[in-house]
Amino acid sequence: MWTHLQVELYKIFRRPRTYLSFVAITALIGVIQLGLLVDGKEYTEFVMADFANTFSVDGKILNGYFICYIILQLLLVHVPLLIALIAADMISGEANMGTLRILLTKPQSRTAIVTAKFLAAAIYTLLLLIWIAVLGLFVSMAIFGTDDLFIMKSSYVVIVKESDIFWRYAGAFCFAALAMLTVSSLGFFLSFFAENSIGPIVATMSIIIVFTILSTMNIPIFNIIKPYLFTSHMITWKEFFDFKVNDANEAMVGSIQYPAKIIKSALVLIIHILGFGGASILLFRKKDILS
Amino acid sequence: MQSIIKVTALTKQFNNLTAVNDLSFSVQDGDVYGFLGQNGAGKSTTIRMLLTLITPTSGTIEIFGYPLSTHRRDILQQVGAVIEKPDVYKYLSAYDNLKLFAKLSGMKPTHQLLMDQLEMVGLANRAKDTVKTFSQGMKQRLGIAIALVHDPQLIMLDEPTNGLDPQGIADIRNLILRLSCERKKTVIVSSHLLYEIEQIASRMLIIDKGKKLVEGAATELFDTSQTILQLMTADNHTAIEKINQTAWAKQLLPVRDGNIIISLNRDDIPSFNRMLVEKDISVFSFQPRHSLEDFFLQVTAGKQYVDTFTS
Repeated sequence: MWTHLQVELYKIFRRPRTYLSFVAITALIGVIQLGLLVDGKEYTEFVMADFANTFSVDGKILNGYFICYIILQLLLVHVPLLIALIAADMISGEANMGTLRILLTKPQSRTAIVTAKFLAAAIYTLLLLIWIAVLGLFVSMAIFGTDDLFIMKSSYVVIVKESDIFWRYAGAFCFAALAMLTVSSLGFFLSFFAENSIGPIVATMSIIIVFTILSTMNIPIFNIIKPYLFTSHMITWKEFFDFKVNDANEAMVGSIQYPAKIIKSALVLIIHILGFGGASILLFRKKDILS
Repeated sequence: MQSIIKVTALTKQFNNLTAVNDLSFSVQDGDVYGFLGQNGAGKSTTIRMLLTLITPTSGTIEIFGYPLSTHRRDILQQVGAVIEKPDVYKYLSAYDNLKLFAKLSGMKPTHQLLMDQLEMVGLANRAKDTVKTFSQGMKQRLGIAIALVHDPQLIMLDEPTNGLDPQGIADIRNLILRLSCERKKTVIVSSHLLYEIEQIASRMLIIDKGKKLVEGAATELFDTSQTILQLMTADNHTAIEKINQTAWAKQLLPVRDGNIIISLNRDDIPSFNRMLVEKDISVFSFQPRHSLEDFFLQVTAGKQYVDTFTS
């Protein structure tokens, strides 16, 4: 199994396609950082326009933590495509190349083969997120410096103390990892049903787009199914940046306002990951290789 | 002799299509076993079931005396295979592909072993080139190197000469014979190239529409001393009249594709040739037909299911 995982990772990282995702992430984050570096002042003035008469901001709003928050908001919508490019290709791509049959004539159990592939796709997903964290958080901190994090919610403003931020990002990235692993496992599962990778990649993205639309539309009939859509839970990472306040309306350092919501969403995502992963193993064990 | 493979009542159904129907056969230790059938006869499906790529609907497969369904990993440790096209990872080099599959076969391959294997199939000088630059023949040879890298006892080759030029076909044929004679491997070869099978197979199986037609030793399936000759003359009608006046008349077969066909013992060919000269028959061409081809056409066209007639 360890040998097979090594082989799968070797195959993933010997393919030029793999690095496209890292290049795309680098380019996207670079563009955002460059734009905010050049024109960040005007951007913050525009964002703060509604509060300009109410708040007097002392400090640097446009700091590394703020940039990372913007990047996370933007990228976590688009990263699923980059994940699907690899995860949805894991089985279908091998079927398309004809290598699946030669792979399965080797003395490895099918469960070990599919588990290794699943883990390899998961490791790729996690590496992509780590890359986002390095560029989005650490590089932004280096370029823009650090200060308190100023976040505007729909009806209120959250200011997270600088000393209280880092662990929240750690939590947010861990949660984002669960969300992206759900995408990875969905793509992996769909890759069983096709003999070329285009179909599963498009299917994965279509499901995410449709579910995301359903998750965000505030229509009563859709509200009933929202709790069951994994996309509704993928954005729960934002809950790490909402804290409890004491009677004096001061932020309680180290607190999260709705921890139960995070736990529930994490469980839903884990169930999806295990469900797609388990179904993949069951399907693969029975699959006739006709490619 | 010990049975390496024993297949009993093997059946595979895909929805309403029965690809393999109640197929039974056995392969003996050291055989070069020819697996023949027209396109869609069920050869590839059978080989894929022997390699656990396809699950049988019913029936049993025993390899090395163990049920394949319960001893898959142990059995595959001793099996090497090339199934149809030898597809490998095109973005990797021949060396890396071989190393990768050697690891998956449970080996810790040394550089020398990998290079020796590539040398055996004539790819040592292209070891570091990516496979996407390879011709079909080179890919086929790499596929064979991958199949043999872990030194398996049983080798299954499904249409191994597909897409190869005549030299490539001859190379594969010689390799199979070397594997059988020098390294004492058991080889199953499926092919539609009957002439190739005829030259290498010690035993063979012919299937049609998923059913066994015949199975047995090549020497027992057809009389190799008897040769079918195909003649083209200046005037076939007159030539047949003249042959009919001789003792050779009873050996004439029906005219096929405008050619005179005659069945002769190999030793009688010179005297038959002399007769043609004496009778002043102008012969444009005088060619032997491959006996397996005739036998194959006879059994597959007749759709006659024959029981195994060898022990």
